[in-house]
Parts: sequence; C-alpha cells; structure tokens
Amino acid sequence: MAIKGTLKKARLEDLLAVLGKSHRIIGPKAEGGAVVMEEIGYKDIPSGVRDLQWPGGCRLLPGKDSQVFSFSPGPDSFKRFLHPPASELFAFKRNGAKIDFLPAPKIAERPMAFFTVRPCDLSALKLYDKIFLGGPVADQAYESLRRGSLVVALNCLYPGDNCFCLSMGTGPEARDGFDIQMTELEDSFLLEEGSAKGAEILEQLSLGQAGADEISAKRRRIESCKAAFKKSIAAHELPGIIYANLGHPHWDDIARRDLECGNCTQVCPTCFCSTSYDYAALGGIAAGGAVSGKRFRKWDSCFSRSFARVHSGNFRLSRKARYRHWMAHKLAYTQAQFGLSGCVGCGRCITWCPAGIDITAELEALRHV
Amino acid sequence: MYDRARPFAARVRWAKKETRDTSTFALWIEDEAIRRQYTFSPGQFNMLSVPGIGEAAISISSGPEDGPLLHTIRVAGDVTSAISGICASNIVGMRGPFGRGWPMQEVEGKSLIVIAGGLGMAPLRPVVRRLLKSGMGHGTDERPVLIYGARSPRDILFRHEFQTFGRLFDVHITVDKADPHEHWKGRTGLIPPILEEISLHGPGTIAFLCGPEVMMRCMINELLLRGLPAEQIFLSLERNMNCAMGTCGHCMFGPKFVCKDGPVFRYSEVRQFMAVQEI
Repeated sequence: MAIKGTLKKARLEDLLAVLGKSHRIIGPKAEGGAVVMEEIGYKDIPSGVRDLQWPGGCRLLPGKDSQVFSFSPGPDSFKRFLHPPASELFAFKRNGAKIDFLPAPKIAERPMAFFTVRPCDLSALKLYDKIFLGGPVADQAYESLRRGSLVVALNCLYPGDNCFCLSMGTGPEARDGFDIQMTELEDSFLLEEGSAKGAEILEQLSLGQAGADEISAKRRRIESCKAAFKKSIAAHELPGIIYANLGHPHWDDIARRDLECGNCTQVCPTCFCSTSYDYAALGGIAAGGAVSGKRFRKWDSCFSRSFARVHSGNFRLSRKARYRHWMAHKLAYTQAQFGLSGCVGCGRCITWCPAGIDITAELEALRHV
Repeated sequence: MYDRARPFAARVRWAKKETRDTSTFALWIEDEAIRRQYTFSPGQFNMLSVPGIGEAAISISSGPEDGPLLHTIRVAGDVTSAISGICASNIVGMRGPFGRGWPMQEVEGKSLIVIAGGLGMAPLRPVVRRLLKSGMGHGTDERPVLIYGARSPRDILFRHEFQTFGRLFDVHITVDKADPHEHWKGRTGLIPPILEEISLHGPGTIAFLCGPEVMMRCMINELLLRGLPAEQIFLSLERNMNCAMGTCGHCMFGPKFVCKDGPVFRYSEVRQFMAVQEI
C-alpha cells in the first residue's frame, strides 16, 4: 500500500528539513524578476507569488494569494543542475614525452533533491535519462549528479498563459518519474509516495490521514486546471506534420522574426546540445603544475552560427535552416532518436523569446498556410 | 571496457606525406590493456585530440587486419593543422572507435562498386584492404570495381597502392584537371562518365560511396537510374562530430546522429533528408 497523507501548510518546513538532512534542496526562488531554481531553504520559497507570462515576457506579481505555489515554471529547470552549463570532462598533463589524461574530479557535494518539479519537467527528465544514461555508454558527469538525486513533483493547479502540457500529454498531473508527488489543497498538501526512497522520506513526517475527501479535492483541482488552459498544440499530427513540411515557405517567415539569440535553447528543459573546448593552463607546463590544461563541455545552441560548421563549409548557414532544425528536433527528431517527445509543453521558449515566437502558433501556420 | 569519454595516449609511430596537404599517421596505443581490447571495423572513426587545441573526428584508413593503425589526415582546421605538425614519437589523444561502418557482410554474393572522391578514399581503404586480405571472390564472377576521383594528379591519395588494389579490383582513377607539366597520362574529368562504361547488375550490385556530398548525390542518382535499389547504396557522411556518443547534437543529419547512427548510412534511411537543403 503506497504511503499517502496530508501535511498542514504551516508544516511545509518539516518536509524541507527532512529532505535537507541528506540532500541539497534545489527549489524555486524569486530573483531578478522571475522564479528561478536555486539551492534553497524554506524561507526562499516565493509563497503566494503569482506570475504573468506572455510571448516574449514575464512579470512577477507580489501576490497575496492564499496558495503557496501560484506561479508557473520559470526559466530554470533541473537541467542547469544535472547538465551544468559548463563542466570539466578531463584534465591533461604533459609529463616529459608522455601525456596523461586524468579523469575529472568526482563531485563531493551531497546529492540534490529537486523540490517542486512540474509534470512537464518530469517528462523532460525522463528524456534526459534516456539521452545521458540510455546509450551504450552512460555519461559519467550526468550519472554522478543524477544518482542519489530525489525528485519531489508538484502537480500544477494553474496553467501559465504559455503552458500547453495538457495537449502535449505531459501534464498537468504527475504520473511517474518522481519519488514524492505533492498536490496543494485548501490548507494542506497531499503527499504521495512514488518510490521506496520517497516513502522513506514520508515516513519521517507525521502525516495526517488522506481520505476520500482529500483524493477528490485533488481530482477536482486538477480537473479545474485542465479546463483553464489557453494554449494547445496539435500533438496528434506530430511528427508527420514536421516531416511533411521541411520545405514549407513559412520557415522563411519565422526567420524574419527570429533573432537567433538561442534563449529558447537555454530555457528548454530538453535541449541538451553541448560543445567541448580546451583550456590550456599557461603556467601548467613550464612550472610542472598539477595539470597542463583541461577540457570542458559547455552548453551550445543550434542557433549559433558555428554549430554545424566543418572545415569545408557550414551545413546550416541560413537562419531559417537553424530555426527549422531546432523546431524539428523538438517536435519530430527527438521522438525518432529516443522514443519520447522533445517538446514537453512547458512554454518556456515562448515566454523567454525576445521576439515572442510561439512554437504552437508556428506549428499552426505550418498546418494551414 | 575502457573509457570512451576520456582520451588515451597514442604515439605517432611514423608519418607519411601523401599529398601536399594530406598525410598518413601510424598510431600506437600506449596502454597495453586498451591496445588489446581495441578492435574496429572498416568505416569507423576515432576522435583524435591535441591537448590544448581540441579534437577532431578522423576515419581509420587501415584495415582491421593490418598491423599499424592508420589515420589519413588533411590539414583543414586547428586540430588537423596541429596534428600535421606532430612528428614521430610524439603523443596524441585518442577516443574510439566510434560509429557504424560499412556493412561488409552484405557484400557477400554481390558485385561491389566502391566510389571515392578526394579524401573519401581514406575510410574506403579499409574496405579494399579487408577484401584483399580475405581474397574474396564474394560469390560472383564479377570483379569488384573501384572508382576514385581526385582534384589533380598530385592530390591522389595512396598513389602507390592502386596497383595492389588492382589485383582484386577494376580500378578507375580520374582527376578533375591536370596541368601539362604533371605529365598525367590517365583520365581527366568527373566520375559519372566512368560509371557509364561499367556494366552494373542492378539488384545484384552493392555500392559504397564516400566523398563530397555533391558528388555522392550525383552518383547516387546515376546508380538509382541504373537499377540499384536504394537499400543497396551506402554512403559515409561528414558532419562535425564533437562528443561522438550522440549527446552533443552537433552531427545531427535530420534525426540521425552521424556519430552513432552513421557515419555510414543506407541510402534508403536518409534519402528523405538528402533532398532537403541545409537539413
């Protein structure tokens, strides 16, 4: 029998205290005009804060909302923590005529607990696990950060204006891929176990009884959330609609608005592209330093001009080709590569696009223009 | 299995200048345990690094049964320039082997036609070497065909080996242009006219292509017109492999990762994307 129980809102701190015993808590925090993800304590939770999101913008409304979690997902996700923007791959050390390639140091920090992961991001996390752990060789950096991590999911009760997870089939309710799932009710949280690890955490809290009332309150809240969605995407026509329209004139139209800034790839929880570069320590060789240099991996974006460049030319020189590649990767290619959608319907690429390009509207244009 | 993400040291045993801008490097894996585990198939590639400069994907140009592990490298970017400056007994970093090579098992019982353009001869040399080694008649009376096009007579790679290749293959070499002072007595011109002179047995033929994409597109069209099924045409694609393990995204060709789904593809797998510009 799965553990299920209620936690009074005033006791939310207890949950964080239990999580914090063994984990660093990565959760939401209001900073710089948006809700971002940071290592947080209980006091950082932007309780009652609401946000407005529209194509190309976001505002926080310092709310007096009675709800704790009234905001939609911000620009951050687990991605920044499990696939850091820059990380060391290995070091090299010249040793006379020899060169040694030394593994990157193990991360000694405590494992992370991701607090209030939204259902869209659960789907993105599932995809990340396939990308970085599912191949013939697991990515060691990702594996060491992911192993031991804990996922506390939060069911969404208010869709943001750019959210379209309902039509993408990824939300607003968490289905799997979490250790604990939370639903905010009137004056308490309903907590449900999703794994043995999650159960262990819940056992340390003296939870109240969750009866039929609480279960039906959860259902009611999720159903009313579903009814409030403003955006949708024609997921049932994917990926065919993309493959059939790779030559569509509408790509030229998007290219006229696209700024190729790459914001969408930075905020997208499924964008995973990276590039590697060497950092040579100038003093390292002469002074017999510990290393002569290191190779790092950093996030890259398919919008960058050099992304598909080889010595003899550039396979995607035009802006149109680069936008098309990104959108096709999200809505078609990832499905072929990893068996999961590369778009999870979080709407971040819409909110954080300075030109307000809306992936759902562009797909509509491909279908009808 | 050894680490695929972190290079191991490989020593340059010798280097041989092939043409004005291309050289072949024989590499020796320093670590004995890795050297013993290391096996590859024709068409696979390694990632070679020069520490402090970077890493580049380089196809293996020797046969799996050959002694030295060869890489034939044209000076093109930072990494290849740095490698070209490395002399014997120095160390480079190596990761690999990576990718899906040529389907050697499918050659059995079919007439093979190998078409190479420029540096594209490098990943096809292991195919020729493998077949020379196995002394195959591959179940047909036809001799396999090798067509090679180079820019000019002095750009011909492996120039002294074609005589050996000719023991098994019908070898046809052409150059785009030859200056009079080069005293070129061979063919001049593009590859397609050569193909016209060769009798093909449609469904009984299998083709391996590697070279500039424009050349491969053109040759594939010819081969299709001559009755080869798209399933029996294989091509090796070039993209900028960076991680070589399908996690960095750089080498994507439509939904394919050239580093792990390729670099050798069955034409029928990629034909829909070959038709799209800047895919």
